[in-house]
Formats: sequence, structure tokens, C-alpha cells
Amino acid sequence: MDDEVPAGWRSGFRVGASLAAGAFALAVSFGAFATLHGWPPAAAIAMSVVVFSGSAQFALVTSMAGGAGLTTGLTAAALINTRFIPMAAASARDLRGSRWRRAVEGQAVVDGSWVSAQRPAGGLDREKMIGATLVQWPAWILGTAIGAIFVPSTRFIHTAGLDLIFPCFFLLLLLDALRSRPEHRRVAVAAVAIAALACLAVPPGVALLLCGVAASLGIPRPRRRTA
Amino acid sequence: MTTMIVAIVALAVINFVFKAAGPAILADREFPPRVQLVIEAFSPALLAGLLVVELLGQHWELFDWTTLPGLLGAAVAWRLRAPQLVCIAVGVVVTVLTRLATTLT
Repeated sequence: MDDEVPAGWRSGFRVGASLAAGAFALAVSFGAFATLHGWPPAAAIAMSVVVFSGSAQFALVTSMAGGAGLTTGLTAAALINTRFIPMAAASARDLRGSRWRRAVEGQAVVDGSWVSAQRPAGGLDREKMIGATLVQWPAWILGTAIGAIFVPSTRFIHTAGLDLIFPCFFLLLLLDALRSRPEHRRVAVAAVAIAALACLAVPPGVALLLCGVAASLGIPRPRRRTA
Repeated sequence: MTTMIVAIVALAVINFVFKAAGPAILADREFPPRVQLVIEAFSPALLAGLLVVELLGQHWELFDWTTLPGLLGAAVAWRLRAPQLVCIAVGVVVTVLTRLATTLT
């Protein structure tokens, strides 16, 4: 087997199916979580339809349930999603059409899709990213609906091992990325260290944002000239 | 309920703007080479971060050692060139078995 990365819509749908499994499991837990914190099922489902961002949605519900006001809750959720600004900006060249169309296509930027659509030689596979996101979105909504209506226990999710799906998928994507770009190993190691430390002090979204610092290690160090 | 509706709409707008700003403003402009290298490295950095954040959670409250054998099993399956879904299935099964064994002992 070669290391060529499959591209295009079909590849996006295939990657999206794996991501959707994780998104579905997470969405079930979000739906149940929101309902248990006083959100009507319809509101939880509506949020998943129009926001489609797990970390921000969890942050909003958690903040507002913890007694924080609307502004604080929105600030926490927005802070978590600031990582999408550089991610979407980095995708700009590979999207198509007018500014409005690019803005709409930019909505396909979600963590797993964006990462899996990165080309080994640089740049982004537009069709792969959009395809992967199109598969995840309905899974996210359906999972939220099931979680909000049936409210399965977190114990069930734990017993069935469903909580492993997302981290496992990210591990596999990381291994694939490092296989095609071994020079990024030190970036990954630094990001692991930063995330582990940051998780102790800041919300997960901010920890993710801080991991971006590790990307600066992607610039090759200048070699010393030997006499 | 009104507060919830406002929160949902506001978050949706914020999310839209975050993702739309770059593509709408930057369009076809190219980044300088050094910036491009950092952008390319952002992908493994974010993936590593997502992995850790998913495993640990805020204040490491989500850390559960029984996920580690599952991740190891998935990595072994990946090393053996198994398809992605098979790797994930291996990871889930190993984790479930580990948790079952932990419960029984």
C-alpha cells in the first residue's frame, strides 16, 4: 500500500463517515447534557442545527447552567471557536467563487474535516473538507435529537466505549499526518505538552488555541555553517 | 426561553463570522512562505491538541486510563494498515474489554 492520500468528494464522504460516528456519539451526550441542564429538547436540537460546534455548545450550556449570564456564556463559547479564524483563513485560497460563496464554503471548516483535508504537499482539498462536513452535520443533529429526547446516561456511553471514538479518530488522523510529514513530529510532541498543561488551567477551546503555538516549530531551524 | 433563543442565534452568528471572515477577505492572496509553513504545521498541532483535550478535559477531569489500551490497540491496527473504521472498532472493543476486566476484578 502506498502513502498517497485519497482526495475528492468520495474521500470526503468516507472520512466524514468515520468522523460522523464520533460526532454522533458526542452529540448524543450533548443532547442529554443540555436537557439535563434545563434546555428544552427543541432548543438543544436547534442549537446543533445552526451552530454545529460541539466544544462551543458544551461551553455555552455549561456556562449558563453554572449561573453565568448570557454575555459570559457567549464569550466562553466564542473564545473556544476563535481557532476557526486562522483555520478558515488558511483555507481561503482553496475555496471557490465570490466572497459570499467563499464565506459560505468556509462554514465547512470543522476540526476533523479541515485536518483530514490538508494535502501533504500543502494546501487544502476543498471537496474532501466539504464532503466530510456534509456527512457529519446530519449525524450531529440526529445524535443531539436522540440524546435530548431519550437522555441516555453517561454511564451507558462509557460502558459501550463510545467516548473513545473521537480521541481514537484524532489519533489516527495524527498518525496519518505524521506518516506523510515526519518533520512535524516535534510539532505534535510540543502540542501534546502544551495541551496537557493548558488543560489544567484553561477551558479546552483555549487549550486548543494555545496548541497553535506549537505550529511555529514547523519553520525549519537555520542550519549552522561548518567551517 | 427567550435568553436561550438569543444565545443560540448569537452563537450561530459569531460562528458564521469566524469562519467567513478569512475566506471572504483574503480570497486568493498567498501567504509568505514562513507563514505558509506555520499554517501547514497547524494541522498536526491541532490534531495532537484535540487528542489530548478529548482525553483529559478541563482540569484533567475526563482522564480515564482504560482508554489508553484502546488507543494502543487502534494504533497497532493502524500500523498493520487496517482501514480507519476497523482501527476505531479495535480501539472501542479493547476499551470495553479493559473496562469489563476492571469491573470484574
